[in-house]
Amino acid sequence: MKQKLQQILKSGLEDISAAADLKALDDVRVKYLGKSGLLTEILRGMKDVAPEDRKEVGSLANEVRSKIESGISEKLCKLENEKLLADMAKETIDITEPSKGVKKGALHPLTRFNNKFMEICVEMGFTVIQGPEVETDYYNFEALNVPKNHPARDMQDTFFISDNILMRSQTSNMQVRAMEKMKPPFKIVCPGRVYRNDSDSSHSPIFNQFEALVIDENIGLKDLMLMIKEILRRLFGENVKMRVRPSYFPFTEPSIEIDATCQLCQGKGCSLCKGTGFSEVFGAGVVNPKVLEMSGIDSKKYSGFAFGPGIDRSVMITNKIPNIKYLFRNDMRFLKQMR
Amino acid sequence: MKISYNWLKDFVDLDDLSPKQIEEKLTVSGFEVEEVLHMNEHLHDVYVGKITKIEKHPEADRLFVCQVDVGFKKVQIITSATNVFEGAVVPVSLEGADLCNGVQIKPTKMRGVSSDGMFCSGEEIGIDDNYFDGASINGILILPENFKPGTKIEDALMLNDVVFDVNVTPNRPDCNSIVGIAREICAMYGKTFKEPDLSFKTVAGNVNDYVDITLSTDNCYRYLGAYIKNIKSEKSPLWLRSRLLAVGIKPISNMVDITNYVLIEQGQPMHAFDYKYLDGHKICVRQAKAGEEIAVLNGQTYKLDKDVMVIADGKKPVVNAGVIGGVNSCISADTTESVFECAVFDLKSIRLTAKKFGLRTDSSARYEKGVNINTPTIAMKRALHLVDKLGCGQIVSGIIDKVTGNRKLGVSEKLTLSFSKVIKILGVDIPKDRVLQILNGLGIESKLVGDTLTCVPPFIRDDIKNENDIAEEVIRIYGYDVYNNVEGKMFENSSITIGQYEPRLVLENGLKNILVDNGFYETLNYSLYTASACDKLLIPEGDSRRNVIKIANPLSEDLSTVRTVMAHAILLDISYNLSVGNKDLRLFEAGRVYLPKSLPLKELPVENNRLSIAVCENGYDFFELKNLIENLLVSTSLEYKIERSKEPFLHSGVSADIIAKDGKVIGCFGKVHKSVLKNYDISQDVYYAELDTDYLASIPEKKYETKEVSKFQAVERDIAVVVDEKISNAELISAIKSACGKIFYDVELFDVYRSETLGKDKKSMAYKIVFMSNEKTLTGDEINAAVNKVLKSLEFRYGAKLRQM
Repeated sequence: MKQKLQQILKSGLEDISAAADLKALDDVRVKYLGKSGLLTEILRGMKDVAPEDRKEVGSLANEVRSKIESGISEKLCKLENEKLLADMAKETIDITEPSKGVKKGALHPLTRFNNKFMEICVEMGFTVIQGPEVETDYYNFEALNVPKNHPARDMQDTFFISDNILMRSQTSNMQVRAMEKMKPPFKIVCPGRVYRNDSDSSHSPIFNQFEALVIDENIGLKDLMLMIKEILRRLFGENVKMRVRPSYFPFTEPSIEIDATCQLCQGKGCSLCKGTGFSEVFGAGVVNPKVLEMSGIDSKKYSGFAFGPGIDRSVMITNKIPNIKYLFRNDMRFLKQMR
Repeated sequence: MKISYNWLKDFVDLDDLSPKQIEEKLTVSGFEVEEVLHMNEHLHDVYVGKITKIEKHPEADRLFVCQVDVGFKKVQIITSATNVFEGAVVPVSLEGADLCNGVQIKPTKMRGVSSDGMFCSGEEIGIDDNYFDGASINGILILPENFKPGTKIEDALMLNDVVFDVNVTPNRPDCNSIVGIAREICAMYGKTFKEPDLSFKTVAGNVNDYVDITLSTDNCYRYLGAYIKNIKSEKSPLWLRSRLLAVGIKPISNMVDITNYVLIEQGQPMHAFDYKYLDGHKICVRQAKAGEEIAVLNGQTYKLDKDVMVIADGKKPVVNAGVIGGVNSCISADTTESVFECAVFDLKSIRLTAKKFGLRTDSSARYEKGVNINTPTIAMKRALHLVDKLGCGQIVSGIIDKVTGNRKLGVSEKLTLSFSKVIKILGVDIPKDRVLQILNGLGIESKLVGDTLTCVPPFIRDDIKNENDIAEEVIRIYGYDVYNNVEGKMFENSSITIGQYEPRLVLENGLKNILVDNGFYETLNYSLYTASACDKLLIPEGDSRRNVIKIANPLSEDLSTVRTVMAHAILLDISYNLSVGNKDLRLFEAGRVYLPKSLPLKELPVENNRLSIAVCENGYDFFELKNLIENLLVSTSLEYKIERSKEPFLHSGVSADIIAKDGKVIGCFGKVHKSVLKNYDISQDVYYAELDTDYLASIPEKKYETKEVSKFQAVERDIAVVVDEKISNAELISAIKSACGKIFYDVELFDVYRSETLGKDKKSMAYKIVFMSNEKTLTGDEINAAVNKVLKSLEFRYGAKLRQM
């Protein structure tokens, strides 16, 4: 009897391991554990076992049964798992087929640049303001120390609407509006459109500036330089170098032009920077005390600085945009490259 | 302003400074050099040579073989020119020369005989008779016998100058002159300015006996006159012609050349009158009378009026003051007596006149920038010195000098300034001694006692008034490169301010990002457009958007008005993109329209920020656009309703206006009118939407208040009713809501079906109604009762019949 049980265990485990699929495994279960299975038969024959051996044989029989049962359940688990894997393998797809749903569009490169610029300035304590593009002669020129018939008016070709109303030729109008409206100390930036009666391969009649003005006590050129250095670093990277040249704007004194490492050639010298390795990015300066006084700010107590870069050129250079006309043509083949 | 390197040498020692060094220094000191022109660019490897022997070419009748001495060697040149002769001194171009007409010289063989180079004509050297006698002849330029063989031709002909094209900023009119730039160079390098020679001999007599000058207009600040007799009109010497040519002025004759020379050198416009044509020998500076005319040197005749200042003689205007001279009194070959004029006029008056006649002369350009009241003092003497030096005529002693108003000459205001304020403006410590050295070097007499800095600027500089001006003078000479490596904290001695965005920009950026996530691309369009935009968009007469602001001086018709409608630009974008083969277009633009309160514009217009959206894509429909608009608006705080749109450029049946609680239309969306599409050459449907972002940003921020979520399960029931086409979903939904009463939770239209069996102008609308109570689980009877109430209400109000499925 014991021998028989051992025999059943051996053949049972062999059958389990040989079972190749769920059906075969179920056959094995029926063969050994079914109503007329081999093990069941044996257990039924227990009554014929000598009473003194019954305990031993009984426990052996239970052990064989449980071993076969657990063998079957382990194998079942394994076979089920294999089947899942096989089913999944059938689901394999070509992952390089295109995605579904709406594809994201893109912001205009100018907006991106402006957003980045604003973010830098707001972090430095500047308030973003906006103002009129159709402007009076007073805010665009006179209050900026450019009286009528002043030679400095030749520096800008202006679109006029009437004698006293024009399309602003610079965002500097917002300097005056801010000084009239806000009490020092304040720091403002104003991104916006400006208009010049001038159009050729490198000039657009409508372009964008980014005016900044700080009015406070003890403001000087050093603050301006440090701020511009930081802005250039954030906009163009750690390796950017700057160069300062004297210049003239009626509303700042001293006035400067700031050049930064040419972003097209990284300072190596190219046709854009005429081989100098630098390109002009900012006009800037210390606010002319006359301008402060005209807007009702005490120039003995307060001083300030202002700068106003044209944005379009920087956008063109950073995005390697080949032609200024691209900025307003809105060709999808161009816009899609900004995704 | 063109500045000659050789001319500068008259006033500043440049022996140790190359043109390249000058160019760089000028630029970093505030005088940007835009271009450097080398007069001798084409004149290298051309020398003065003397022909020692001429023989016929053995193989060619028309060629001659010449032996030539070019000083440092002997060469053989073959020529076909017939005006050369043994002993002639000529320009000889040798190997490497690259002549003005593009010819490049290489040694060659002509019919077996070698030639080392070529003789040159005046044209090949870039000159004509005007510059050098004989240079215009059709043949070889024959040089004077005293020219030494071996001399470089550019040196022999004084064509060796280097010219800087300097951008002089409007605050420095004094630097529109050779002497002005020379003074700056002196200050930059600590050199001494060499004063110009102002000496001249006079002959007996008194200028006042020859000419009478009266000033009867405030637009003339100062007027100087001098009288010259026994004039010999001839060509100026080569050195003078060379200088004028270098700065782009054509030499004419000695007297005229002198006035131009002084203009360039001293920055003082001058005029020379032919004395015999001055009626009554009078000069009167006055405003013109209506009806007067003047024929001027450019061939034009101008009608004058009281806004134009003229120089008149006893009877008639002879000069358009400060702008251009008249033909009736100008210097000519037979002039024997002349009056020199040296004046200062009001810059605005000159500017207006120049503008009025569309004329910009060397003279008006300088007057418009401002000529200092003191400049004529030196300029007149300098001109007379040149008359004497060139021997053009005899100067009768005395200079008439008239000044209007109480203008004082030769004085400048003494400024009392704070030294520490100057340093504060700069933010870098510059030693006191260095500051004083720089200022005095610039001719600003400066002293420092304690913190008090006293400065007396030179009287030709009107631009120095305060600490900021002094700070600029100091730093531009000291060098801005001090800031290249500046360290420290910005705003170190100033206040902390808190940064903040403009609320509308924040809102706009939020909307833009939603659009981008929905596949849209941002566009930028000009805010100026054609006057016909309203026509194309079918905007009727009487619509306020027809009131457009016009640009007085537009670049073109396309950019002649300021836009009042957004749709035009974005439809052009769609049209352009389709024309180049781009498909599936989803575009938007955040821009402004400019709405005048009245025309012509007396006050500034309302500038309204708007967002325009356009889609041109197969299969896109109204409801997809509606979903987009809902998603955009839900991100704002707007409470709104929609109504059929009144926008003339939209399809009246497939469009809606967005109406805020206060009744204001703040946007629209829908299909574009088919005629409008035609006007833009668009052959596919376009969906368009527009939102007023200023309005959206003005609404108080939305407050989110939530309610308890019910513990009891919701129950759904579907119904489908057949109604007339004209009944709207909104009407049915509103009826369903009110019929359900308290247990209403949600309703959704999930199907619309039309078929012949339903009947003409009928549709089936299928709704999923969701019921829920916060108090209990709803029973089947309660739900059924509610559904029945809904059906009865729909039947009663809209004739809706339950659809049998």
